[in-house]
Amino acid sequence: MISWTGRRKALTVLAFIAPTLLGLLVFNIYPILFNTYISVTNRNQFHPNPDCSVTLTSLLEPTCWEVFKRGAPTGLGTPFRPQDPIYENYTDLLSGLADANAFWALLRLLLCFAPLAVAGRVNARLDRQISRSIASGWVWLGGLAGLFALAALLDAGGAYDTITKSGDFLVVMFRTLLYVIACVPVFFGVALLLALILDNAHIRFKAIFRVIMIIPWAASNVAIIMSLVWQFFFREQGTINQVLAQVGIKGPTYLNDPNWAFVAIVLVQVWYTYPFMMTVILGALQAIAPEQYEAAEVDGASYWDRLTHITLPLIRPAVLPAVVLSSITTFQMFGTVWAMTGGGPTRGAGTPGATELVMVYAYKQVFQTQSYGRMGAFAVVMFVLLFAATLYSLRVTQITKGAYE
Amino acid sequence: MNRKPNRLAMLVQYGILLVFSVIALYPIWFVILASGRAGQRLYTFNLLGMFIPTEWSFENYQKVIAGNPAVGDPPFLTWLQNSFFVAGSTTVACLLIATSAAFAFSRFRFRGRELGLILFLAFQSFPGVLSLVPVAQLLTAMGLYKSHLGLILAYTSGTLVFTTYLMKGYFDTIPMDLEEAGMIDGCGPVQSFLLIALPLARPALAVTALFAFMAGWGEYILASVLVPAPEEMKTAMVGMYRIANEVNIPWGEFAAGTVIIIIPVLIVFLYLQRFLQGGLTLGGVKG
Repeated sequence: MISWTGRRKALTVLAFIAPTLLGLLVFNIYPILFNTYISVTNRNQFHPNPDCSVTLTSLLEPTCWEVFKRGAPTGLGTPFRPQDPIYENYTDLLSGLADANAFWALLRLLLCFAPLAVAGRVNARLDRQISRSIASGWVWLGGLAGLFALAALLDAGGAYDTITKSGDFLVVMFRTLLYVIACVPVFFGVALLLALILDNAHIRFKAIFRVIMIIPWAASNVAIIMSLVWQFFFREQGTINQVLAQVGIKGPTYLNDPNWAFVAIVLVQVWYTYPFMMTVILGALQAIAPEQYEAAEVDGASYWDRLTHITLPLIRPAVLPAVVLSSITTFQMFGTVWAMTGGGPTRGAGTPGATELVMVYAYKQVFQTQSYGRMGAFAVVMFVLLFAATLYSLRVTQITKGAYE
Repeated sequence: MNRKPNRLAMLVQYGILLVFSVIALYPIWFVILASGRAGQRLYTFNLLGMFIPTEWSFENYQKVIAGNPAVGDPPFLTWLQNSFFVAGSTTVACLLIATSAAFAFSRFRFRGRELGLILFLAFQSFPGVLSLVPVAQLLTAMGLYKSHLGLILAYTSGTLVFTTYLMKGYFDTIPMDLEEAGMIDGCGPVQSFLLIALPLARPALAVTALFAFMAGWGEYILASVLVPAPEEMKTAMVGMYRIANEVNIPWGEFAAGTVIIIIPVLIVFLYLQRFLQGGLTLGGVKG
């Protein structure tokens, strides 16, 4: 521990972190403040310009600052000013929820997930028993069955329809959540399967297979052009349909069909993400001491027993934070969808398309409709949600941290 | 575990590996095939041609590399140069700034350290797409609109949090003993950072550099907003996206360009992949 006190220490610390602080202040904190302010104004294509006589505007709007004043735009339209009432953009965004029907539908949908939460709780309690009476898999299965039963009972499909009619915000929110729920288990499953095989001592050419499996990760760095390539496989004469044609099936034009388009962007995201998960899981697998398996084998444990009682619990600390992290990035996904479908296909002008996830929606609203004020409110709501998710992931990381030390 | 493996189980496992290898490789293979096809089409109606090279010419590569921008060929090499400059500068800036901050967070105990780390992450969770407008406005006001410097600044601060966390995680795993020994010999904090901690953190530096470089090399949205024009200022991603959205899309050139952009990424990534596992599990994920 480097431990001296007083001014010298403070100055040293500051010297080390000042550039980072400055960068964050300018490119992270300032946009947040600015966005929050814009979110209570009526800035849009009709009121694009600042009125520098308003104190807050003059403080936050760069073109109002003395240093930069020369470039101040004075175009057509009246300057933007605070909304009346001040939370107008927020109510506009969430107005769907004010409707009793939509609110009830939302509640019903959320209620459907209650069995899963209950299953988690029950499992946590069972874990404290010395010898578990019921395996965790059965509890989860029960929870899942409960989910489907409740979904049928409460007419989840109808509820979803109601919500999709109640405003863009809820629609894109739900669609994005659905996207995350669809992507994460699939890429986790694929990654776990491959990691388990690659950890198998009897498999040969492991190094080669590992290198090949990591290629999509490398490709995900240039996701925008790789996705442009991917969309070719889903075209009418794309690879998939050409192969299907050999066995006499005529496939659809996948990206023009709302459901298929959604499946396509899920598949592509899985392709991009599984190498990362696989690498994390492999690392965790290799940290497990082989003696534990040997002991289990002596006790007569089957492969399945060893997987559920040794492997999965032991990789959990390393894998859980990675899962949360990749869920957050999946939620914020933009480039892949933008390049593949541009958010479409749409049912009509003005309605969000079948693959319009939150970030695509926000981008379109800002750069095509220029509704800055409304998107400011959208940004603030998103920020609150993502902030909560980040704090949760941090807690998960903190809890699981002890496992390594 | 010296049991003889079950032959069927092994067969199934190899089968799964092979299937996923094909899935992992095919999209890249597809572009390579398409780049060698003359004419401006990405796919062919000859099914075999979708999987093995039935024709091959360097015509597209020639057009991309030696094309004449004056007649309307895309200035591909200039784009590549721009991307390389922007990503390279981002990497250097990121290594300088993030490692020093990470060292401070790992080695010094000061007030606000824990809170600072949490706030870093929290601010980072503000979605990038939505901070585009203020950032663009700010850079415009500073006269950095349509300039690479503005882009480098934005990229650097965008990757700072992640790289700081990555480096901090790695510094945390390096025992302090060496630095303490150094301090007894009269090493100040700057010296112990530069002479002791940095050389020890080489694997993490490699991973950090990789991520910082890729963040600049493959980024699209910021680049498309901050440097939308002129042609010779664009980065490769913006340029390629523009090509792919023309009326008559020169897919052949697009494929050749994609290959040229992706091959270095693959080489660097695969070369550094042995560091990835250690760098990630020790740093990024552990937090």
